[in-house]
Amino acid sequence: MATSFLPRRPAVRFNRRQITLLSIALCTLFLVAIVFSNRFVGDTGLDPALTQRNQPPSLAHLFGTDWLGRDMLTRSLHGMSLSVRVGLLAAGFSAIIGTGLGLMAGTLGGKVDAVITWIIDVFFSLPHLVLLIMISFAIGGGTKGVIIAVALTHWTSLARIIRAETLQVNSSDYVQLSYKFGRSPFWIARHHMLPHVIPQLLVGLILLFPHAILHEAALSFIGIGLSPHTPAIGIILAESMRNLSTGYWWVGVLPGLLLLLAVQAFDTLGENVRALIDPKTSQG
Amino acid sequence: MQLGIAAFMLRKLLRLALLLIAVAIFSFVLISLSPIDPIDAYVGADMLQISPEQRDIIAQRWGLDQPMMTRFILWLRQLASGNLGTSIIFNQPVSTVIGSRFQTSLQMLAIAWLISGALGLAMGVVAGARAGSWLDRAIRFYAYTLAASPTFWVALLLLLVFSVSLKITPICCATPPGVLTRDVTVWQRLHHLILPAATLSLIGVANIALHTRQKLIEVLNSDYVLFARAQGESLVGIIRHHGLRNIILPALTLQFASLSELFGGSVLAEQVFSYPGLGKATVEAALRSDVPLLVGIVFFSALFVYTGNLIADLTYQIVDPRIRIGKSS
Amino acid sequence: MKSNLKTTSCAAGIVLALSACVSSTPERPSSQNNAAAPQQGGSSEQIVLALSNSEFDDGFDPTLGWGRYGSPLFQSTLLRRNSKLEFENDLATSYIVSDDGKVWTVTIRADAKFSDGIPVTAEDVAFTFNQAGESGGKTDVTVLQEAIATSPTTVELRLKQPQSTFINRLVTLGIVPKHAYSAEYGRNPIGSGPYKLVQWDEGQQLIAEVNPDYYGTVPQIKRLVFLLVEEDAAFAAAKAGQAQVASVPQTLAVQSIDSMKLYDVKSVDNRGIMFPYVPNTGKTTPDGAAIGNDVTADLAIRQAINYGIDRKALVDGILEGYGSPAYGPVTGLPWEQKEADIEDGQIDRAKQILAEGGWGDKNGDGIVEKNGQPAEFTVLYPASDSIRQALALSVAEQIKPIGIRANVEGKSWDEIEPLMHSNVVLFGWGSQDPTEVYNLYHSKSAQGDFNNAGYYADSKIDSVLDLAMGAPNQEEAIAFWKAAQWNGQTGFTTKGDAAWAWLVNLDHTYFVNTCLNIGTPQIEPHGHGWPITANISEWKWTCN
Repeated sequence: MATSFLPRRPAVRFNRRQITLLSIALCTLFLVAIVFSNRFVGDTGLDPALTQRNQPPSLAHLFGTDWLGRDMLTRSLHGMSLSVRVGLLAAGFSAIIGTGLGLMAGTLGGKVDAVITWIIDVFFSLPHLVLLIMISFAIGGGTKGVIIAVALTHWTSLARIIRAETLQVNSSDYVQLSYKFGRSPFWIARHHMLPHVIPQLLVGLILLFPHAILHEAALSFIGIGLSPHTPAIGIILAESMRNLSTGYWWVGVLPGLLLLLAVQAFDTLGENVRALIDPKTSQG
Repeated sequence: MQLGIAAFMLRKLLRLALLLIAVAIFSFVLISLSPIDPIDAYVGADMLQISPEQRDIIAQRWGLDQPMMTRFILWLRQLASGNLGTSIIFNQPVSTVIGSRFQTSLQMLAIAWLISGALGLAMGVVAGARAGSWLDRAIRFYAYTLAASPTFWVALLLLLVFSVSLKITPICCATPPGVLTRDVTVWQRLHHLILPAATLSLIGVANIALHTRQKLIEVLNSDYVLFARAQGESLVGIIRHHGLRNIILPALTLQFASLSELFGGSVLAEQVFSYPGLGKATVEAALRSDVPLLVGIVFFSALFVYTGNLIADLTYQIVDPRIRIGKSS
Repeated sequence: MKSNLKTTSCAAGIVLALSACVSSTPERPSSQNNAAAPQQGGSSEQIVLALSNSEFDDGFDPTLGWGRYGSPLFQSTLLRRNSKLEFENDLATSYIVSDDGKVWTVTIRADAKFSDGIPVTAEDVAFTFNQAGESGGKTDVTVLQEAIATSPTTVELRLKQPQSTFINRLVTLGIVPKHAYSAEYGRNPIGSGPYKLVQWDEGQQLIAEVNPDYYGTVPQIKRLVFLLVEEDAAFAAAKAGQAQVASVPQTLAVQSIDSMKLYDVKSVDNRGIMFPYVPNTGKTTPDGAAIGNDVTADLAIRQAINYGIDRKALVDGILEGYGSPAYGPVTGLPWEQKEADIEDGQIDRAKQILAEGGWGDKNGDGIVEKNGQPAEFTVLYPASDSIRQALALSVAEQIKPIGIRANVEGKSWDEIEPLMHSNVVLFGWGSQDPTEVYNLYHSKSAQGDFNNAGYYADSKIDSVLDLAMGAPNQEEAIAFWKAAQWNGQTGFTTKGDAAWAWLVNLDHTYFVNTCLNIGTPQIEPHGHGWPITANISEWKWTCN
């Protein structure tokens, strides 16, 4: 009928800003808890306890124990903490590279822009994971290899966004006036561009974390470089593959759920920060 | 029109060549950084059981004692002539390995790609048409959650539920064990690739569903749709005549662009299901330091993604009437 | 608009059709036309075996090392062992050893044929032994001077010096055809064994079919499919009913599978911790790898670790009881020195040994030091092996209370090789051939590879080992092998030099379909091959 296709509005509405702020607070709290959780739960759960193997989730072991009697909750939290920290570090490096190159491309324009755009295209033309595997293989694996590999592959989308913003600002009147006044491009980048792109940068950075974390988990799942008993989420999940047929489902399902929640938290955080800072692009 | 397409293709080929050279330099530099010498890796497998004369020929061909730059040029020449080296793991030429493994992956990827495209489109349309309803919320929740899920975990869950608990799908591999390759039926192959394809589809729908939904909402909010509504057109009719036109193009572009993600996802899915495709070969090459195979796969994947984007561009040219008509007039 | 949809769907259809067509191309050419595809589930036509995924990089070439632990499926050997480990004739009908022990004269049967129909002659035997000596593979015939065929059915094996263990070569070296041998032999192994290789999809599966011209009992099972999968996937395959024989890690042996029975096969497959025996003085191997570790070079450390480990707990906890404690490298074999056994799990005794050796915890961090050197080292295990990972982690845990810190790391074998002369490594050995003791403990065996990687050297033990190898036959050598382990005063086991900390002997656990009768498995060696197939000619499928 006539009214059936108009988008329906919810009956009761909270103040949108309140919801956003609440989401941001909750997500941040959750993530900070994850990062510091490894200090709270201690190290004892990581050691083999051969008398407590393969126990399903219970009050003593919320996530159960694995085939060597190690507490899965401790391992998952350690692993998640490691993944988040690696993700943060790698994403941080990535953001610096991406912002720097994006600003350069947008401000300097011309040949520099062409070269940088072409480099971005080259990176985009290889599947992400293949690139990651290649780089971490070259560096020799390990946590160092993973961080560098993730840092070197995630800057491209951020660079594109920053570049687009910078180009837009570059053509505006006040910037053109600055050029006429003889200001160097570097000065302009610092004083005009950077403040303008900070909202985008922040949002992009936050949304970069989940990608970085997922890719770190993927690399450790494949087994590149890390010791197989390191409590990294990817490794825990790879280990759970081994005993699938035995029915010990908690070894794989629960840590993966934790990873999912953490990544979701980052995504939600990013979306809400974007809503807060840049209302134009957050509609719908 | 003919000249236009010819010039277009030429430009694209030139970009492809530039891209492959960039990838070559990139790979060579990277491998040189690793403890493994790139040329040794290519030559190593050949050198084992041969005579000294042959050894000299090989040394000449690959420039073993020359400086880095010369070795790179010689290596590039070998690659350009089709000699991608011999895989250390499989003891076959790299091109053969990639060829046969890609065949296996292609079946799975094709099905995953089609399903994620069709399903994503359908879900996006339904969500957009019923924006704000519980159905829309459910679809959005599913899309957001799945976009955040690790591919290998979803694969693991599917394996647990369907292969271990319900026992309706096989635990691993592309063919049933013990059956000679030429005796494997199409149905058996389908049976084995359904779970990996399902994993990739489940994750691939998220992006396209969300974008399609967004586009449809924009369309439904526009003036001409309001006009059509005023003329008595039903919702389904509007979607068919106005919606799909506007949605199909961005959806198609997105689908072709998703080939890159699909390839990456296949690396993980094939690992979980022990599906012997190109993705699993990539992992094996990296874990067992098979440099020729790894570099070969990098090249191949670049080609693959580039082809996907090329087809997207071409499709745009063909499908969008504005561009098509605009060119010929 | 409709035409666009049509184009797109046509394109999609073409892609699908292409992939379906392409999928029917065979991957490797098969040798013969065979009957229609056999069904799943096992029968006397075909059984599927999911045994451990050994890396067959060199293919199935006995001269390069295939079958060096016994029972090369595709070739036959001169002698074989029965389930009681006694020697029996296989290809050979008789053999004589000269009085000085340097010439072995072997007579072979006249009716053996290779799978291509050509008869096996003494020329092939001579060729095989000579080739093994030249090829520098993993089969060790360095004591062989040359092998000569003196008649179509007689071959003389001339040794440089007598070697009591040479008889084992006759048991494990499969005979290859001189007329069909080339560099590619490993991928197309023509032999006179009970089965022949039909198809090999590397990394996936291997298909073997019965050799109808086999001179011995022709096996009942016509076709064998070996799934080359990881240890855990083997269990999954068995549980899904896709494999009729599956070798599973001991941790999974406690599970139950419908219509399958667990075979707990005793073995001499052992696991132990190797210590670098010398301090680090800057010496390197020919390849440039560092030799020596200052902490493990100290006798007190090595002995304390041996006494501190609780091997029974390891067997019960990690192997689920499917194993036994090991105090030396040859537990369960006739040349085992039972006097070398110790009572372990004694933390206090271990601490005392450390204290007497000059180790004490002066800074209260829980780790003992001596001359400023903390008792800390790295333990390496191969990343692909879960049992070794468990053993390494558990041992590190067990020696914490005595004040020694072991940092465990898992690496690939490629990464372990340069590190194994200066770090502690969790190795696995176990052969029915006592030459292994020589390879592990004689100073001459330390060449910068896997043999005697710790560079253990003791001149007294060296002379005892030389006497063992030079003895006229294996029975007389036994006294010397035992003395090398512990003779009441010296030896390389814990009470003496404690060069290693041997941990456990594994039982090999297999799930076998209840319809399959595999006879009596022999005591199995370390598994670089398929030891369970040693008696494959006797296997019978008993159901319908």
